[in-house]
Amino acid sequence: MTKFILRRMGISFLVLLGGSLLLFVLTINSGDPIEDLRESNADNRDYLIRQRTAYMGLDQPWYSRYWEWLTGAAKCVTLNCDLGTNRNGVEVTSLLGNAASSTLRLVVLATVLAIVIGITVGILTAIRQYSGFDYVVTFLAFLFFSLPVFWAAVLLKEYGAIRFNDWIVEPTFTPLQILVTAGLLGIAVQAVMGGDLKRRALTAGATLVFVGAVMYYFSAVEWFRRPAFGAVLILVVGVAAAVGITALLAGLKNRKVMWSALTTVGAGLAVYFAFLPVLREPTWLSLLAILALVVVLGAVSGWFWGGYSRRLAMGVSVAVGVVMAFLIVVDRAVAGWMGLLSLKSRPISTIGSQTPNFTGDFWESFLDKGVQIILPTIVLTLVSVASYTRYTRSSMLEVLEQDYVRTARSKGLSERVVIVKHAFRNALIPITTIVAFDFAGLIGGAIITEQVFGWKGMGELFQTGLKTVDPAPVMAFFLVTGTAAVLMNLAADLAYAGLDPRIRR
Amino acid sequence: MTDPNTPHRPEKVPTPAGGGINPETSMMEPATGTTTTTEQKSYSQNQLVLRRFLRHKGAMASMIVLVFVTILAISSIGVGPIPGWWDKDYTRAANVINGGSPTLSLFPFTLGEHPFGQDSTGKDYFALVMRGTQISLLIAFVVGLLSTVIGTIIGGLAGFYRGWVESVLMRLTDLVIVIPLLVLAAVLGKIAASWGVWGLALMLALVTWTGLARLVRGEVLSLREREFVASARAIGTGSRRIIFKHILPNTVGVIIVSATLSIASAILLETALSFLGFGVRPPDVSLGSLISQYQNAFTTRPWLFWWPGLFILAIALTVNFIGDGLRDAFDPRQNRNKD
Amino acid sequence: MTISMPGTEPVLSFTDLDVKFGTEFGTVHAVKGISIEVRPGEVLALVGESGSGKSVTSMTALGLLPKNARVTGTITVGDQVIGELDEKGLRTMRGNDVAMVFQEPMTALNPVLTIGTQLTEALELHGIAFGKDADARAVELLRMVGIPEPERRVKQYPHEMSGGQRQRVVIAMAISCNPKVIIADEPTTALDVTVQADILDLLRSLKDKLDTGILLITHNMGVVADMADRVAVMLKGEIVETGTADEVLTRPQHEYTRRLLGSVPHLGQGPGQFGTAPVDQEVLPEGEVPALEVNKLVVEYKRLGKAPFRAVDEVSFTVNAGEIVGLVGESGSGKSTIARCALGLIPAESGDVKIFGHSFDGMRGKDAKALRKRIGVVFQDPASSLNPRFPIGECIAEPLQVHQVGDRRSRDAKVLELLDAVELPRSALNRYPHELSGGQRQRVSIARALTLDPELLVADEPTSALDVSVQASVLAMFTALQERYRFGCIFVSHDLAVIDLLAHRVVVLQDGRVVEQGKREDVLLNPSEEYTKRLLAAAPVPEPAEQRRRRDARHELLAQLGDEIVELHVN
Repeated sequence: MTKFILRRMGISFLVLLGGSLLLFVLTINSGDPIEDLRESNADNRDYLIRQRTAYMGLDQPWYSRYWEWLTGAAKCVTLNCDLGTNRNGVEVTSLLGNAASSTLRLVVLATVLAIVIGITVGILTAIRQYSGFDYVVTFLAFLFFSLPVFWAAVLLKEYGAIRFNDWIVEPTFTPLQILVTAGLLGIAVQAVMGGDLKRRALTAGATLVFVGAVMYYFSAVEWFRRPAFGAVLILVVGVAAAVGITALLAGLKNRKVMWSALTTVGAGLAVYFAFLPVLREPTWLSLLAILALVVVLGAVSGWFWGGYSRRLAMGVSVAVGVVMAFLIVVDRAVAGWMGLLSLKSRPISTIGSQTPNFTGDFWESFLDKGVQIILPTIVLTLVSVASYTRYTRSSMLEVLEQDYVRTARSKGLSERVVIVKHAFRNALIPITTIVAFDFAGLIGGAIITEQVFGWKGMGELFQTGLKTVDPAPVMAFFLVTGTAAVLMNLAADLAYAGLDPRIRR
Repeated sequence: MTDPNTPHRPEKVPTPAGGGINPETSMMEPATGTTTTTEQKSYSQNQLVLRRFLRHKGAMASMIVLVFVTILAISSIGVGPIPGWWDKDYTRAANVINGGSPTLSLFPFTLGEHPFGQDSTGKDYFALVMRGTQISLLIAFVVGLLSTVIGTIIGGLAGFYRGWVESVLMRLTDLVIVIPLLVLAAVLGKIAASWGVWGLALMLALVTWTGLARLVRGEVLSLREREFVASARAIGTGSRRIIFKHILPNTVGVIIVSATLSIASAILLETALSFLGFGVRPPDVSLGSLISQYQNAFTTRPWLFWWPGLFILAIALTVNFIGDGLRDAFDPRQNRNKD
Repeated sequence: MTISMPGTEPVLSFTDLDVKFGTEFGTVHAVKGISIEVRPGEVLALVGESGSGKSVTSMTALGLLPKNARVTGTITVGDQVIGELDEKGLRTMRGNDVAMVFQEPMTALNPVLTIGTQLTEALELHGIAFGKDADARAVELLRMVGIPEPERRVKQYPHEMSGGQRQRVVIAMAISCNPKVIIADEPTTALDVTVQADILDLLRSLKDKLDTGILLITHNMGVVADMADRVAVMLKGEIVETGTADEVLTRPQHEYTRRLLGSVPHLGQGPGQFGTAPVDQEVLPEGEVPALEVNKLVVEYKRLGKAPFRAVDEVSFTVNAGEIVGLVGESGSGKSTIARCALGLIPAESGDVKIFGHSFDGMRGKDAKALRKRIGVVFQDPASSLNPRFPIGECIAEPLQVHQVGDRRSRDAKVLELLDAVELPRSALNRYPHELSGGQRQRVSIARALTLDPELLVADEPTSALDVSVQASVLAMFTALQERYRFGCIFVSHDLAVIDLLAHRVVVLQDGRVVEQGKREDVLLNPSEEYTKRLLAAAPVPEPAEQRRRRDARHELLAQLGDEIVELHVN
């Protein structure tokens, strides 16, 4: 297995090397790097040309320029990158640092969301094959596939940012809005839940009433300007998550797992209260430490409660722990919302990954970055969600036709166990490859999203580089996507081995 | 290695999730095997596929829309020297009437002076969008066709000859794949900047064939192992005949479906590149460059933004639905029990 | 039609069972009002060919038919009526009261879960044992079905076991909740004949020791004779005959049953069964070049990062002109590999294959083509052996076209002649393979193989994917054609009875090596090697009394050889 992975890594590395050569040669031949200077009327024109020639090494043959870049890039192995200078003599390595951090933040978030949403929806559509829900999701998937990303991004900018900012001044819903939203959600939920007519009507009705009430309440108290979350909601949502995750992964009959999950919720709340002062004004380090503590407490609770089904209990409790950590962050972020609004009356700006010269506390700047990332993430996620949904659906449908699923059913297992335990893991195996393959492509796709939303990310680095026939930034971009591709392939191989015992050796 | 001698498999009972069950063989196969097929019409694979495709409602509706859009784009402003029925030119500026608002009305249906409105210099936006549609469609179809040819040849050669041919071709494919599609397309698009629309199409074809090549290779590899190919080889059939008579015709489904889908992704790729400024350049317009040019006019003249976007969406969506219809029509899974 | 036997209540009964499927092609009437019952400790064999509706019948007992099925009639398991149970009641019943053993052990187990997990989940679900107790019970179950080192095996994954072992695991799973009845759907069809005998022994001892009723679904009359107490014969959704195994198999009443039994090749009766041409044993003149000469052939498959796998190891045999040589062996014996190597489709590692004295090695394209003209080939799988895009006429005429023999008219005439020879209607000419049944397609393959009047025919399991009645007519036709065209032939098969009725000489293979070869009578009636004896002893015959004798003889043989006779170990 190790040998196999090493071999694959080696091949990927060689391919990467070839790719870099190809891209380098193409880039330097894509135009005239000193075209603008030749046409300029500046007095120091010749000096400028000489200077740029020196920065870019234009007086050397292409292979020695490539070699220079390659040897510089090779130093990355010792964490001492030298990616050359752009045409103005600025170190690309330092440019790349900032650019990569904002782009990767975007892409990683989009990938995680796309995986979670895509796989969940894919499984649901497979289970409810040929239902109204399936047809609607299929149509939406096709729509997202066919959507010009840049066009959708501009639309989102208009409706997600500008109109939202107008609305947040006085965040209320009209009765019609409440009725339509609640009605649509009611229809959607009953389509997912399924069942006979009576059950569907009940589901739809309950959803409608619940959503309607919540929206009315939020509107009445202007929750969106003065939101509150609080310990009670953390407890309610946490318990719901604990029960839900237990029901899904272990079945409610398994009391040990159930108690373990509920204990985790309690532990999470205890941590929340104990560290509330720190949480009010944390640093990234202290925040992460607290969140990690919640998750670890989950694992510990699983260990002690689990008994025979210890592994399962630990898994479920860790999942609940992650949910609790997430809820704590949500609670603190919600608490910071008013502060953000007071600093920034139009919270979602259409340009940039964060507000320049922002002077808020930790949570306010967290929110500032948070709201800025929402729209580009949505754009970037849409296409991936569409394809993951389709892949998961077809993979799941194929697995559900296998003999071992029939065997599982003939043992009397419930649909939940058949799907979660027997079908899902097998269906995941082909999906890992797709996800790994997609990641590097997403960084490429982020070029457009960044351009529309005015992010100073790697997309910008690449675009300016290419427009000015400047290979160093372009190659820096490639270095990141290429490395990401190799790493994701490695991750996929490992995931593969973890999921499928047949290829473990 | 086990012998492929799985003995007798009796009927397959469809699993609950499996859906349909095929009556022709799994349930009704004459037990004696000598019963003659009666005087019903005989259908070849192609005819069966066509029948299934024609019954696919979504695909047929999409086909109609796509044909309509194509005819509209070509007939309205004409092609080259041949004039169309629309009298305005997409290059000529004019007085801006009524802020350039669209005059198109559906009830009653009238086009008016400027159905899609005018841009800030008074150019007729209908003519512009039609020109953009022409260019985008042209590029999409050329890219779809070319990349299909390249992908089929490379994948087919790799799958058929195996050995070093396969290694070289597949590493070449990996090489193209390792550079993100948009990045490679942008670089090539910039190189092709002065070569016009056809040059751009050629360059885009050079980056979009990889998926099909892998697909065709896989398909050829599995067909090679099929017994009818082994049997053809055993009777002394030459490589050429095996490729063109036995292997390629049986990969047609995969190729056609993939070609269709590659047209859809080509139009999205081209418009994205044009949006970024590495695709179609002025004076030529494509649907992507129109959006790029007018994206900041959204609040003042939203029609300048909506029309080209809706056309891209319509084309990509219909082509994708046609591809889906073709996939359903070719899908071996529907014939799984029929084998 | 049911036979009532006072005293014992049936554990599974179907009354007026009727199943229809709504499909896009209209309604398919799969089961047409049948009534059968299974009592404790009894094996009822439900026999029929593909499409008879026997598997559909069995799935109704579990309530596991697809949604497009409409079931009427009454199905009772113990005292529960299936139609009256809700989803939850059905789940409690599955596994607990009725358990299932499926045909394909290779795919019936989940590849990503350990054997232990798959065994314990049913135990925990039905409340038999939990936690550590369930683990212990799983080990015990594996021990019961005779899997060595069960403690180690529970931690393994299905792919680490052989097909026979996997089927034992499936059986262990089936008996884990002490069901009243087990439905075994073709439980041995995918297995080798020696493994099949073991699994049947296991099932038999299981029903004796646990008093479980078994509904055995099979197409194999030998298995019926070996296992069944009573038999129900199913044809196109109806039961045409029921009775005890002795009655049905020795004195069949219904015409279909008679035809079915008449189609089963009977090991030991040799040539001449159901109208196959008698094989004449004329010895060929000395000195004539043999049609095929295989000499110390070695074939290896390369494996990434491992030593190459030797599929064929120093195999030597000859096929004389006009002679049928049967290559027989179990899966993995290398018999198909030899056939493919003889056709020049895979290279030999060492040793050589000579066809009419020529070898494909180092031969120029033109000469190789000329040599190939003298060889015909028939493969196993009727689904993939014809190009789906060629009409039948073109399929058959292709060899003529490739070798540019004759003009269009003479080719058409040849095709029609061959269609007649393989007993297909001439109207089949313009049909496509997917419009024909499996048997018809295999006839087309044979016709195609004979187009160029080959002197050597390589037939790789040509009838093993066919129903018995179809197989019988194809074999009859095959021998008649061989009589007429006098080609030399290697006939690869796993079925000793098939080899028995048509081969002149037999080569027995095991793990890529020749175990024994010689004249048919010598090898099949009077084997000298241990492996051949085991193989022959394991093959069941479709007569209950004789099969009982053969079974006892096999057990004796195993005892002699120091092997254990498989049975359920209950403490």
